[in-house]
Amino acid sequence: MSDNLARVLNAHELRPDATERAGAGAQRHIEIVAPSKKARPRVVYALSAVTCVGAIVVAQLLLSVGISQGAYEISALRASQVELGRTADSVSEDLIRVSSPQSLAANAEALGMVSNSTPAMLRLSDGAVLGAPTAAAGDQVGAATLVPNSLLVGVPLVTQQSAGGTGASVVAAAPEAAAAAPAAAPVAAATGSAAAAAVAVTDGLPSPTTR
Amino acid sequence: MAKTNMSSKRRIVATVVVLVAIVGLFVVRLVDIQVVRAETLSADSLGNRSVENTVYGSRGAILDANGVVLAGTVMRYDVQVSPRNAKQFTRTVDGVKTTVTVPEAAAEIGAVTGQTGEQIEAIIADALADNPNSDFAYVSKKVDVDAFRAIYDLEIPWLTFAKSPSRVYPNGSVAGNLVGFVSSEGEAQAGLERGQDACLASENGSETYERGADGVRLPESTVTTDAAVDGSDVITTIDSDLQFFVQQALAEQAQTTGAAWGNVVVQEVKTGKLVAVADYPSVDPNDVSLTEAEDRGSRAFTAPYEPGSTFKALTAASVIDAGLATPNSQVIAPYRYLPANGANVNDSSNHPDLRLTLTGVLINSSNTGMSKFGEMLSDQQRYDYMTRFGVGHVTESGFPAEEPGILRQPEDWDNQTAYATMFGQGLTTTALQVSSIYQTIANGGVRLPVQLVSGCRAADGTITNAPSEEGTQVISASAARDTADMLEMVHQEGYLANVWDIPGYRVAAKTGTAQMPDGEGGYTKGYLVSVSGFAPADDPQYVVSVSLADPVNMNSSAASAPIFQEVMSQVLKKYRAVPSGAAAPDLSGSW
Repeated sequence: MSDNLARVLNAHELRPDATERAGAGAQRHIEIVAPSKKARPRVVYALSAVTCVGAIVVAQLLLSVGISQGAYEISALRASQVELGRTADSVSEDLIRVSSPQSLAANAEALGMVSNSTPAMLRLSDGAVLGAPTAAAGDQVGAATLVPNSLLVGVPLVTQQSAGGTGASVVAAAPEAAAAAPAAAPVAAATGSAAAAAVAVTDGLPSPTTR
Repeated sequence: MAKTNMSSKRRIVATVVVLVAIVGLFVVRLVDIQVVRAETLSADSLGNRSVENTVYGSRGAILDANGVVLAGTVMRYDVQVSPRNAKQFTRTVDGVKTTVTVPEAAAEIGAVTGQTGEQIEAIIADALADNPNSDFAYVSKKVDVDAFRAIYDLEIPWLTFAKSPSRVYPNGSVAGNLVGFVSSEGEAQAGLERGQDACLASENGSETYERGADGVRLPESTVTTDAAVDGSDVITTIDSDLQFFVQQALAEQAQTTGAAWGNVVVQEVKTGKLVAVADYPSVDPNDVSLTEAEDRGSRAFTAPYEPGSTFKALTAASVIDAGLATPNSQVIAPYRYLPANGANVNDSSNHPDLRLTLTGVLINSSNTGMSKFGEMLSDQQRYDYMTRFGVGHVTESGFPAEEPGILRQPEDWDNQTAYATMFGQGLTTTALQVSSIYQTIANGGVRLPVQLVSGCRAADGTITNAPSEEGTQVISASAARDTADMLEMVHQEGYLANVWDIPGYRVAAKTGTAQMPDGEGGYTKGYLVSVSGFAPADDPQYVVSVSLADPVNMNSSAASAPIFQEVMSQVLKKYRAVPSGAAAPDLSGSW
């Protein structure tokens, strides 16, 4: 009831038998009833309820903003994952191309290595040589181009790259390497035999320490 | 009091009416959206928000015995253009806006893909000529990641990209004839790619997700409708390093001798595994067009030929196993032998009558001597031995389109064929079958199944399709040992002793020079020269079998012997077969 709470209560309306007692007691003091403090809490309740609802709404908004923010982060991370995956693909393709036997053979020849087809075994425990060793004659030189790899077309050799390459590729460089290798072979054989004469094997050959 | 009651009631009524009106308005609107237009609106929204994505499963890899990748899958990209939208556009570089015309853009694209600007403009023009509203044309298919990124960074608005998984063969022609290749659409066409397609094939999956107007995926909205299934890997028994070496050695010698084709098979004696199968000419699966169509397969599996004198080892082993002869059994070998049934057998070159033991028959490769030993067995008995050695059947390797060779029933042999089969003519075998014969002799008479694929390995490591490794005893161990000893004498004493000698090692080998049929019942002038053997002779580890077809520059077994020497040396070196140092047997060839 939206009554005026400060309304002075008519003694008659309130306590019909009070007048008799008042008449009888004569000096009953009539005071203005102060507004009851109990009325205030109702506003507070209302305000707090509204505030709570507001807070819940705000919290929900913040959470959904947070989730969406997370979605943007996920999207950005996904994009960078895709990019990194592509970089990994590109680099691993380069790696498998370079580790193919044609690439290794051509680069080895360009660096002056020579293949040997007569097998001989060196037993490290006592330095015994099994089989019949002969100097490497480089008989496999240039044969790598007979088993071609079209992935290597246009890929420069190691020697060309470090020299600031003129672009001779693995495939084209093999014939030049073929000319270079026989010149290198007698040099290698000569140093090999000189070294063999110089070192006497005493307690087994020194084995390389590998980690 | 009555007045305030009335006014308060009116206020109440008014408030309620206003409230009802507002709520009614909302209800009407709500019903309109949720009920009346519900489907159209939600279909529209889903169509705009939801995206279907193909999740690619990757095809399995083909690996060698050590895990080296012989065939793998890489992601490539197709560059597509929308011709009707191909107009000039503005590009912002460092805050400066520049206009890029179509020819300029085409030239930029072409610089990356290797086409010219004019070619790209021609693609656009042709597409528009066909269909003025054309929205799709390929600029370049299957460009790699670096090219894709370069083109993407050009920020040309009328280009789109599609992923296109593709096959790459990192080692080029090494084992190219075995591995096979795929077409540009990814269909397997030859070799192990085709034969093992059931193991290698993958399935693409799809997922749908919803995204906002700016393209960001809405959280919790990804639905996987189909899971992608990756293919399983095929593990072969090939060693790619040895395969590379063998292919080189074969190609070099084949070119020097002018051979039409050739192959080399290296097989492990104690397990039956093929460690190298080389073909000449070889094919690079990365670019199949560089090779003729008939050279793109593996003739070692698909081209049977008359084996010639290397087959004599089988006949000799059969005769010894039947207990009818020993390595020292004696016979007189004339140049021409006319047996009772009317056949006509002669040796390759004229010579007086020779007094040969069975060992000597093999050393001299005498057809007449072999006939005299071979006729000790009946045709049916020899046929049975040949069948048990694997002649006339496809091997267990599982290579697609493998040929079994031709071995007719003994009752279909005419009189000449009955004798010709004793020295390897009148029947055909593949290189694999010849290698298997020598593997049996080297392995104490136990024939092991020929293995090329050792299994199909799924992503979680489980191996399926592992082949059987059970052997069959074809001849007795002592017959095999005797035959091996005789073959060692052939290697030591034969006319090629200097060519195929491997210093420090005991090797057993036999040459063969077979005539090649001309397809009309006769023989051509060319020969198929072959060498088959194994080493070390006292405890054999590896069989090497070399064949060269029609080496016009050197029409004898001397053409293939150097290949045998190189390959066997490399095999012994690579697998650290240490020579035992025991002395070779001493069997005499003549009496």
